[in-house]
Amino acid sequence: MITIALAKGRLMEEAIDVLEAAGVGCGQLKEPSRKLIFFTPDQRIRMILVKPSDVPTYVEYGIADIGIVGKDTLLEEGRSLYEMLDLKFGQCRLVVAGFPEKQDTWITRSHTRVATKYPNIVRNYFSRKGKDVEIIKLNGSVELGPLTGLSDVIVDIVESGRTLKENGLVILEEICSVSARLVVNRVSLKMKNREIKALINNIQTVLEERRNGEVN
Amino acid sequence: MIGKLKLSLPDGVQDYLPDECYNKRRIENRIRKFFYLSGYNEIETPVIEFFDVFAGVKPSIDQEQMFKLIDPEGRILVLRPDITMPIARVVGTKMANHPLPLRLFYLGNVYRYGEFQAGKQREVAQAGVELLGVGGPEADAEVIAMAIQLFLDLGLDEFQIDIGQVEFFKGLIEEAGISEQEAEEIRALIDQKNMLALEMLLKKLPISEHIKDTMYRLPQLYGDSEILKEAMKISRNPKCRAALENIYQVYGILKDYGFDRYVTFDLGMVQSFNFYTGIIFRGITRGLGYPVCGGGRYDRLVSEFGRDLPATGFAVGIKRLLIALERQGKLEEIPQVDVLVVVENGQMGRAYEFMQQLKSRNKRVEMFLPTGGFANPLDYARERRIPRVVEFKEKEGVVEHEVDFEEDTG
Repeated sequence: MITIALAKGRLMEEAIDVLEAAGVGCGQLKEPSRKLIFFTPDQRIRMILVKPSDVPTYVEYGIADIGIVGKDTLLEEGRSLYEMLDLKFGQCRLVVAGFPEKQDTWITRSHTRVATKYPNIVRNYFSRKGKDVEIIKLNGSVELGPLTGLSDVIVDIVESGRTLKENGLVILEEICSVSARLVVNRVSLKMKNREIKALINNIQTVLEERRNGEVN
Repeated sequence: MIGKLKLSLPDGVQDYLPDECYNKRRIENRIRKFFYLSGYNEIETPVIEFFDVFAGVKPSIDQEQMFKLIDPEGRILVLRPDITMPIARVVGTKMANHPLPLRLFYLGNVYRYGEFQAGKQREVAQAGVELLGVGGPEADAEVIAMAIQLFLDLGLDEFQIDIGQVEFFKGLIEEAGISEQEAEEIRALIDQKNMLALEMLLKKLPISEHIKDTMYRLPQLYGDSEILKEAMKISRNPKCRAALENIYQVYGILKDYGFDRYVTFDLGMVQSFNFYTGIIFRGITRGLGYPVCGGGRYDRLVSEFGRDLPATGFAVGIKRLLIALERQGKLEEIPQVDVLVVVENGQMGRAYEFMQQLKSRNKRVEMFLPTGGFANPLDYARERRIPRVVEFKEKEGVVEHEVDFEEDTG
């Protein structure tokens, strides 16, 4: 049996779509329920629902063999995993955002306060640029940081940019683009190679079909 | 406030209570005996060393990983984060004149910050061997075979030794003639088996299509010996071909031992390629999401300590072994005490002599000391599963009882 850890939240629905298309029966998951563990009808695959930031943890420890989670979470958690597929959904960008009029001053100021849900990403990004920043960890509504004066800028993921715009913020720098990824435990890939490879191949076929569908 | 931490432990260390400690020691004793019988001699180095032993060499251990102390002269000391480097130090200095090959083994704790171990352990019990002074595939096969034999002896189910060869990747990098930073980016993506990002990165780089194609296939070159054939087909560069030849030679020896079924390969295993210079390997097992052992060839390290010697070896994590064995139901209970001795006043001398005789015959024996919980020695014996009670009485002399364990189940 293989275990898949699914990130609850924005990626969940599309993750289920991809898995279903790849032949993983997710029927149980679609029924309203408070359960956290689900099985496919043939009992060969177990799915566990966890907080996005916990997906890499479950997979690194080998409790889950496979995980589906956003690249932003992977970068933040920095776990040692195989990152085997870009599932292409959940596309967004990880950016530095703030008020447009402060665009120049904040870059040149020696001390910038950054509000974010991603302290590790922020630390790595700015230290690569040789900039010291004060990181203010928030757990949601990060846009409030500059609006209330808590921080100069924010680092967050942006899909359409509407929330930023409605709050008068603009993108100052783009850190990287983000999408859902399929990660695999380093031991599981070897010990359960046949099952995992078969599933990955099926998912890959689904992704290719989708891409061809978009082109045509 | 001083005193508020007196009931707790610092992060990353643990107490080994009797049940776990018994199994830990049992495993360590088996390992010690096995290494010893394989012609290896045990070596012990101090837990405290100079920072420079680990930081002043190439490759070094990241300084943020190390527990540091300052000595009275202001020099930086560390709790050793590794035992291979101290052994290289000893071999390069105090044992510089010892004839080769040198076969050394150790059991001991290493200390590291960071979450590199299961359960965020910072004090990590390891056992390992180092085979120094021999460069050929026979030496690599010897240490890999020892890892396999050790897992077989310990009764580990379904384990694999996954073998790589870092020279294969290094050969490609040399041929490509790219910068260190580009090489590091490629290495990280191959290590993560991140095909898409690897493809995008390779597209940007000005290297030949053939090298790109081989690099792109590296993450997929894992599995049984078929992948070696595949790799041989696509390799033109002499360094890559030599690396594959080297794996074949090691594999040939392991096959002679009947160990081929425990062996798989992964040419995309490029995790610590700064340290290793040839064959590398990791031991994995069912029920554990991270390796139980790791090792490989490190031909450049000892020269950092003044003696140019090829070397290979491996280390096994004792706690990881314990977790794997527990998940596979292979831990043992502490054997019960064989005899409970009950003594009346004035009989102590005789009783003591009797107990010593039992101990000399490898029997566990315990003297009954009444406590609030147990006034009656037979109840005590039943509770502790002690099968025999011997009483030394002043009037009746020696009285023996066989303990009936059934009574208390009724």
